[in-house]
This record gives sequence, C-alpha cells and structure tokens, in this order.
Amino acid sequence: MTESSVIVTTDLTKHFTPSSNLIDFFPRLLKKKSVIRALEGVSIEVSKGEVFALLGPNGAGKTTLIKILCTLIVPTRGEALVGGHDVLKNGGEVRRSIGLVTGEERSFYWRLSGRQNLRFFGALHNMKTDEVKKRIRSVVDLLDMKGFIDMRFDEYSTGMKQHLAVARSLLSDAEILFMDEPTKSLDHSSAERLRRFIRERIAGEEKKTVVFTTHVLNEAAGFADRMALMDKGIVRASGTISELRTQIQNPEATLEDIFDHFT
Amino acid sequence: MFLTKAAAFIKRDFLTEISYKSAFLMNIIGIFFSALTFYFIAKLFGQAAAPHLQEYGGDYFPFVLIGIAFSTFLGVGLGTSANALRQEQMIGTLEAMLITPTRASSIVVYLSLWNFIYSSFNILVYLLIGRLVFGVPLTISHPFLILVILFLSILSFSSLGIISSCFVMVFKRGNPVNWIVSSSFDLLGGVYYPISILPGPLQVISHALPITYALKALRGVLLAGYAFDQVRTEIFALFGFAFVLFPLALLLFEFALRWAKREGSLSQY
Repeated sequence: MTESSVIVTTDLTKHFTPSSNLIDFFPRLLKKKSVIRALEGVSIEVSKGEVFALLGPNGAGKTTLIKILCTLIVPTRGEALVGGHDVLKNGGEVRRSIGLVTGEERSFYWRLSGRQNLRFFGALHNMKTDEVKKRIRSVVDLLDMKGFIDMRFDEYSTGMKQHLAVARSLLSDAEILFMDEPTKSLDHSSAERLRRFIRERIAGEEKKTVVFTTHVLNEAAGFADRMALMDKGIVRASGTISELRTQIQNPEATLEDIFDHFT
Repeated sequence: MFLTKAAAFIKRDFLTEISYKSAFLMNIIGIFFSALTFYFIAKLFGQAAAPHLQEYGGDYFPFVLIGIAFSTFLGVGLGTSANALRQEQMIGTLEAMLITPTRASSIVVYLSLWNFIYSSFNILVYLLIGRLVFGVPLTISHPFLILVILFLSILSFSSLGIISSCFVMVFKRGNPVNWIVSSSFDLLGGVYYPISILPGPLQVISHALPITYALKALRGVLLAGYAFDQVRTEIFALFGFAFVLFPLALLLFEFALRWAKREGSLSQY
C-alpha cells in the first residue's frame, strides 16, 4: 500500500448463500445450500486522483466489489479500506468520503424534480439547506443541467437521468466516486460525452478518484488510467493498458485481446 | 441536523402526495363515509351498548368514532416503516439513501414522519366531522395531555412498526408481525367495543397491548374530560411499552440491516 492509495482491498472475498424464506434459516437441517462465489481473493489498490476501471462481463463481480466498497454488502472475508477507513469498522466515515453513480434509473423519486431530489439527498449527506442550494447551483453549472433541473424526474430522458445521478454523487464533494456501469443505457455519443466529462472535469479539474465499471471492454481504453480485468469473481490482471500489453507481449492488443488472453 | 433531515423527508413526501391531485379529496370523502357507516350502526345497536359505555357517557357513536380515528393513526405507526421501506426497495432509492452518512436506524424513523402528520390531519377530519356533522360532544380541556398520550402511543406503535420492517428487510414479503399485531389490535384493543365485554382470558391479553391503554386514555380525556390523575395508569403503561420497545426495535433493525448486507439483498424486493 502506497501513501497515495485511497482504496485498498486485500484478499476480498464474497460468497452468497441465497436465503429469502423462513425455511432457509434452518439450512443445514433441511437442505444443502448452494454458494455463489461472487468475489474470490480480490486485492487491488487505487491511487488518489486516478480513473480506475473494473472490466469484465456480467457476473464478473464488479458490482459486488463496488457495493462492498460502498458499505452496502458485507464481505465474507478480507479487508477493504476506502479513504483510509475500514468498510466494516468505520462505515460512516467511508460513506462521508464517497459518492455512487449507477446505471440504475430507479434510484430517484420520479414525481419530484431533479432539484427537489438533489435537495433531499443533500440533507442526508448532513448538508445544511443553504449549503445544499449552493452546491446544487455549482453541480448544475458543472454538468450543464440548467435546462432540465426543475423538470420532474419522470419527464427526464435516459441521458438526463444519468446526469442527475452524477450530480448526486458530486453533491457532497466526496473525494471518491464509484460509477457502476454509468453508460449502460446511454447511446454511443452520450456515453462518449459522459466519459470525457468524467476524465476532464471530474478527475482532471475536480481531482476526484473515480472507480468505473463496465462490461464493454474497449470502453476503458484511452479513458482509464489503470484497470483490473475481472472474471468469475477473480482479478485476472491489472495495470495500465501498456503494462497489460507488455504482459501478453502484444503491443497492438485491444482490451478484448488482453481479456481473452487472461481468461 | 435532525430537524433538517426530518424536514427533508416530510417535504419529499408532501410533494409526492400533492402530485396525486385527487387522492386528498378522496381521503376526506372516505373518512366521511366511514364515520357515516358507524353513525348508522350506532343508531341500530347504540342502546344495547350503553350499559358498557357508562364511563364514556353511554353513547356508542362517540366511543367508536374515537376508536376508529385513533386506531387508524396508531395503525400508521405499525405499518408505515415496513411499507415505506418496501416502497424504497421497490423504487430503488433505498441503497441511494444507505450510502449517505445518515444512519439506517434514523432513516427508518424519518420514513414514517409524513404518514404521522397525514394521519394527524385525518384524525382532525374525523373529529371535526363528528363534532360538526354528528354533534359528538368532545372535550379538549387537556390538550397537552392528549399530546403526551399520542407521543407515547406513537413511540410504542412505531417500535412495533420498525420490528415489522425488519421482516421486510429480511424476507421482503410475508411479514407476520404486522398481520398479527394489527389483527389482535382490532380484536382485542377496544377499537369497536369496550374490552369489558370480552371473556376474562382475552381481557388479560388485551391488557398486554399498548392500543388498549392508548384508546382508554384518549377516550377518557376526550369524552369524559379526565385529567392526568385519572389516566396516570395508562400513561405509565404506554411509557413502559415505549421504553422497552423503541431501543429493542432499533437494535433489531440494525441486526436485520446487517443480515441484508451480508446476503446482498438490500435492493431486492
């Protein structure tokens, strides 16, 4: 672990044993439980100000990893530090230092406007009313949302919804932003604009650390500083794209070629 | 910060509520029809009930009006946390709230605030309709006492509601707490009839329910003009329920939340 590391995971493992019925509380007596190995011994480090991509197909464990780092899932084993705080022991401190963007459109109140949504989530971030208003003005300017911030969320296009999700993650001025498939439902040009915005404004000007997941492998090329290739819950390789090309001794390899090589 | 967050939740729910234009009017009409139904039932059976209602003036309609008005209110305490939590799971906002620095146990309390305000308004409508349309004699000589009884009742009922929301967190559906408690409250809590008409063993059970004390105290204060000394037993009983149930409920909720985080099922519904 280096001094500039803001995210460090060591041997992070998550096994799910699905149980949602009363009968599942007595598993060993009644039936053998299946285990889903979502993460297996994941060790990564992300440095301050870095854009770090988690790449892999659906089911690779990217979302599970993000959710553990956001304190939404408890790991089975291993350690995770975010902003220097242990996700298990100092969840409150971790949540003070992070923002989360998902590709999930459902995470807002549809009958409220974008601004009303942001004010609500701002209050949950312990921000005073005046502070929230000021910060909303700032992120609305930054994301160029003036034209639609006062429209009701159910009138938003997919791109507008994604802008609002990014605005919410920036609201508390968190140091670390997790973005879980933020371009999932965007068209090619909107996705490209969002990536450029993250690279130039959020990481470049605002100096945030961004952890970004995608199942579209080549999306990370030219966008992420470093990346981890995940498959079946395991990090198969990590580094800059040139380091990964060197590892497979193919300077022309695309990310898909590299992924194929390691998996 | 508590007030800022409470205001944020109340404002959010208020804005959502008023976005459904006709719901408010339909609610008032619903209250009127409910009161009217019991008014006619009281006309039919009122005299038979009179001997059991001497303590409250002998008239069935005021007795049942307060029973249904406040049991609706207390029912909100019972169901609102679980319903609101399930709603947040379904619309996908629960995780967005839980990654903020606000404690989950605080969120589950904030989630029910608007429903209490809205139900307080409903009680007011019930009482106003009762007073103005049906001429029910209500005594508001001890408003502070009414607020104390309501506050302790809300704490007791919300605690049961939070325990109920633990089941939503873990099992998502098929919540037995809400069903058992609300059914027993209707049957044994003295909402529609005085508990004195119940057989002895059922009366014993009804004395283990907070609603029995809440309704007895409220009817005493509102219909018979009782002061603190005359409802002291009920107030102490409600305090006891709140004192035991509220911390227990928050503890269980933290446990259920940790369980859901271990299962990775926070956003499932």
